[in-house]
Amino acid sequence: MKLTRPRRRPTVPVNAMSDIAFLLLIFIMLISLINYRREIPIEYPEATRTEIVQADRNLEVWVRDDGTIYHDGRPIDLGTMEAVIVDAVAADPSVRIHVLADRNTAYRHVAEVLEVLQLLQHRVVSLVVSDSPGAVR
Amino acid sequence: MIRIRTRRRERRALGDSGALSDLAFLLIIFFIVIAVFNVNSGFLLGLPRRGSVTTVNVDDLLRVTVDAGGAYLIDGAPRSPEELAAAVEERRRRQPNMTLLARIDPEAPYQSLVTLVEIARTADVDNFSFSRADAPETAP
Repeated sequence: MKLTRPRRRPTVPVNAMSDIAFLLLIFIMLISLINYRREIPIEYPEATRTEIVQADRNLEVWVRDDGTIYHDGRPIDLGTMEAVIVDAVAADPSVRIHVLADRNTAYRHVAEVLEVLQLLQHRVVSLVVSDSPGAVR
Repeated sequence: MIRIRTRRRERRALGDSGALSDLAFLLIIFFIVIAVFNVNSGFLLGLPRRGSVTTVNVDDLLRVTVDAGGAYLIDGAPRSPEELAAAVEERRRRQPNMTLLARIDPEAPYQSLVTLVEIARTADVDNFSFSRADAPETAP
């Protein structure tokens, strides 16, 4: 008599897959936490020919359309901004200052920020804009 | 008929983790989408020393005024951004050492400065200076 053993269905082992997935998940969550920044709702100015201005160490100064200056999500005045920049430069002289201003901000508000940087003899400043094909030009 | 009972080895239930990995991958996609990889792009400007004075040939100067509405004027004549860009490029061809000097109204929108910087960069103008229209004029 012939005895036949029932064939097992071929299966793909997916148990290890969920381990990999969760490791990836933890990695991406950590990266997103490291890159977390407090965004201030502004309408970015637009330009077509921009360059990457990100440096290893960065300090962002946000200027809203009403002229309010923000750093790290908190509104600050010019004096506080000056102190923040002095501290940042003292900690790392190569820190890059980024000015992120709303496109409708009156120029005088941005000029005030630039004047403080000039006063501190900070020579290089980055004006952050949105790279847009539909820019003014 | 003889019925032979084969002994089947009991398989350990591993649990159906297929749905778990699906869930994990969905979460990964979610975090990738919401993760803000903040790479700023824009323009790097070199600020002059406060109170520094540079002497330039007056003939090499191209004076641009930006009014409160953000309009560009050359010698009092309004120019569109395209016309301004063409004027700067044409002047740059004639005078490679030209200096673009912009006087910006304090109430002008910031976008007008950004556009001006872009025009200067596109035309490879090395000497570019801007200041508030209500500030005393200094050389770039």
